[in-house]
Amino acid sequence: MTLFFKFDFNSICQIVLQQILTDNNIKYKIVGFGEVEVLEKLSKDKLSQLQTALDQYQIEIVENQKSILVQKIKDTITDMVFNEDTIVNVKSSVYLAEALGHSYGYLSNLFSEVTYTSIENFIILQKIEFAKQLIIKQNLSLTEIAFRLNYSSVAHLSTQFKNTTGITPSAFQRIIAKRRELNQQNTN
Amino acid sequence: MQEDYINITLADDDEDDRLFFTDAFDEIKITTRVSTFNDGVYLMDYLNSEDALLPNVLFLDLNMPRKSGLECLKEIKQNPKFKDIAITIYSTSASEEDIENTFVQGANIYIKKPSDFKTLKKVLSEVVTINWQYHTNSMNKENFLLRF
Amino acid sequence: MIRALSNNISFLRTTLYISTFVILVVGALTYRSIVDATNSSEMITHTYKVNVELEQLLSNLNDAETGQRGYIITKDSVFIGPYIERRSKINNSFAELKVLTEDNPILKEDLIEINRLINERLLAFQTSYQSLPKGDIKDPNFISNFRNGKVLMDSIKHKIRGAIQVQNNLLEQRQSKYKSDLIATPLLLFSLLLCSLILMYVAYNSIYDNIKKLKSKNEELEIFKESTNQSEIVSKHGTWTFNARKNVYTYSDNLYRLLGEQPQSFEPTIENFLKYVHPDDVEQLSKQVDQMRENIELPYIYYRVIHKNGNIKHLKAYGRSIVNDDDEIILLGTTADITDEIMSFRALEERNMELERNNKELSSFNYVASHDLQEPLRKIQTFLSRLEDEEAEKLSPKGLKYISRIQNAASRMRLLIDDLLQFSRSNKADKVFEDANINLLLEAAKQDLAEVISAENAIITSDNFPSINVIPFQIQQLFVNLLGNAIKYKAEERTPKIEITHQIVEAEKEESIKKPKKSFYHKIVFTDNGIGFDNEYADQIFVLFSRLHNKDQYSGTGIGLSICKKIVENHRGYITATGQLGVGATFTIYLPIE
Repeated sequence: MTLFFKFDFNSICQIVLQQILTDNNIKYKIVGFGEVEVLEKLSKDKLSQLQTALDQYQIEIVENQKSILVQKIKDTITDMVFNEDTIVNVKSSVYLAEALGHSYGYLSNLFSEVTYTSIENFIILQKIEFAKQLIIKQNLSLTEIAFRLNYSSVAHLSTQFKNTTGITPSAFQRIIAKRRELNQQNTN
Repeated sequence: MQEDYINITLADDDEDDRLFFTDAFDEIKITTRVSTFNDGVYLMDYLNSEDALLPNVLFLDLNMPRKSGLECLKEIKQNPKFKDIAITIYSTSASEEDIENTFVQGANIYIKKPSDFKTLKKVLSEVVTINWQYHTNSMNKENFLLRF
Repeated sequence: MIRALSNNISFLRTTLYISTFVILVVGALTYRSIVDATNSSEMITHTYKVNVELEQLLSNLNDAETGQRGYIITKDSVFIGPYIERRSKINNSFAELKVLTEDNPILKEDLIEINRLINERLLAFQTSYQSLPKGDIKDPNFISNFRNGKVLMDSIKHKIRGAIQVQNNLLEQRQSKYKSDLIATPLLLFSLLLCSLILMYVAYNSIYDNIKKLKSKNEELEIFKESTNQSEIVSKHGTWTFNARKNVYTYSDNLYRLLGEQPQSFEPTIENFLKYVHPDDVEQLSKQVDQMRENIELPYIYYRVIHKNGNIKHLKAYGRSIVNDDDEIILLGTTADITDEIMSFRALEERNMELERNNKELSSFNYVASHDLQEPLRKIQTFLSRLEDEEAEKLSPKGLKYISRIQNAASRMRLLIDDLLQFSRSNKADKVFEDANINLLLEAAKQDLAEVISAENAIITSDNFPSINVIPFQIQQLFVNLLGNAIKYKAEERTPKIEITHQIVEAEKEESIKKPKKSFYHKIVFTDNGIGFDNEYADQIFVLFSRLHNKDQYSGTGIGLSICKKIVENHRGYITATGQLGVGATFTIYLPIE
């Protein structure tokens, strides 16, 4: 006997997905086809656990793949910026392409699509972030910081700092110092 | 997860400014959920209520009746419950000192309200983006200072 | 002066002692020499008497011998009478001599010897006289007796003459001593008298001198006293003293006048004084007076007094203690009428408060006006921009043109409002000075102007600045305005070049520094190669809203340099400008070195 089934792939997938999400104790909300709003923050472990569970049905967490790559790009940039060797000697586009095994064009597009900002901007943001840390934690002079971050001059660093944050490095320094003073007064 | 929206809250007593603000976010491609309050008292009442959905970014006008933006800022900074909120001062103008003072009091961002709509959209979009960077890259929030 | 006088007084005292001593010595010496002279003359008289007695004795002996001889020759008993008479006289003379020679042992011995010899001779007379009637004078017995008598007589005479000689020598000796006594005494007396005369003269001179000095000092004191009186009247203060031990006050004439009374019209006691003190101040003042009595010191105190005519006066008193010659502590006090000062101070204070109020009103008006104007203007501009972006295609070309005109006008208004706001901010007085790194402030200013600097390719060179005590925001603003100004008024054909130099200068040597408060200043000079200006307008350019160019040419508001001036004045500095048309302008800033 042959039985014929009419089935709705969407419903099946939906049910399977719901089943797995429930099994993994994840709170969720179905938003639409192939789109689920997760109502809690997922750790990396939990995410990969979920991915494994979904693997047997050959269901893939699509956006997660993209964001993992974006995260990789970000991590790579952060490593590059915070590492004394690479920041001085390496062209970032080449470095990223080599490190992640994708063309720079692909990475750049993906990054903009996901984060609404460019890789270049993110590198600058990271460099200025690092400059801030150096100003705060190590009390380095601007000249030393410019050298450390491979800027051609203090003026260049100051300009980029101001363009990125809207604040001059010295104003930043002043604000942080006063903030700490204020916090100390409040705790005392 | 990128479809996850960003929670934006504004406290401003000026109707036109609230209109510009919500219009601008409507036209920005980042998905946001914007709620507005007419002054500092309404805002704080909401934030202090139990089921409040805390904003990712809070915009405060400085010059408001009943409770000024600076008062709200101080209250928020004293409550650990609000430590994850990025606070943006959204004001007509102030002297350099006043601006620095708001940063010292704990503001992360200072926006001088632009006088054309394009600039406003650009600025608001940058604020949300950069805030997102800090939010997703667990960057040191102490260092998060931005001024437009 | 007092020291000189006291030196003089001790000198005079010494002179008096010496003079008294000299006069006593002179008296003693005179007495002694008179006694000596009397003694000497007595001695001489005594010697004379002895001599006379001795001569008498000798002559009596001679008379006795003559009588004896006459009897022997004449056997007439008439001659025996004188002999016997002489003999009793000799005895008398001896008794007399014995008394006289009591003090002279040698003469006494001589007299005993002479007496023995005379007795022997008288015995010989007796013998020869008795043997004579029986025999003859040629009788050998008689002759030997007679001869014996002569030998005895000779030795007697010799002895007496010796004694007389001795007496004469003594006399001579005594006379010469008497003479020398008589000569030495007046010499000594005279010289001593001379000494004391000299001393007296010196003393007189010194006294005369002192009296002269005292007199002139007295005159000076009189003048000083009078001028003190006058100055007390003119400067409305009075003086008083308080003797702590005796609990006695003295009040100067003008102190009475300060109370609205005639000088010395009541007894200077604290009770009398307190009668004039304002009832509200009595308690506190008496407390302070009690403390003053205890500590012998009076810090500045303030109180009011009421004159009999009802006028209220404000007084201020102060006292300091000194120790007088009698080791008494005296409090010297001054009380001044400060009513006028207090009144003018109050008036000034009132005026100041009024001015401050006006100033505050003006600056808050300015601030509120410019600040609150911003908001509607911003909305106008925002709506305009939305109109242009979203509704442009629905508008006619004319409508679009109007919109663009409105936008221009709005922009111009924004510029004015921004500058006015900045100006009113630079007016605020409660700015905090701190030691600031000027290099960083200049760098920040360049950051603020980064856009125009790179658009105009402006070249800015600057010296290295030391850190200066400033209001950092304002100095940054100053730099922004000066740099912005230099770039805005650049010459068409040249890239703008701005040179900023720094040096430390002495105020006296800089012409532009008028009435300097400090001796050294930081001199900061901005030199540009822009269009410059006619030096005629050098002062005018700092005046609010003054502009040298049509606003179509340059977009200035005429506020920027006024802000610069305000900022520099807030720092108690100076700013000057010099220019040369077509060559460039130089702005010089002087900031005081604390």
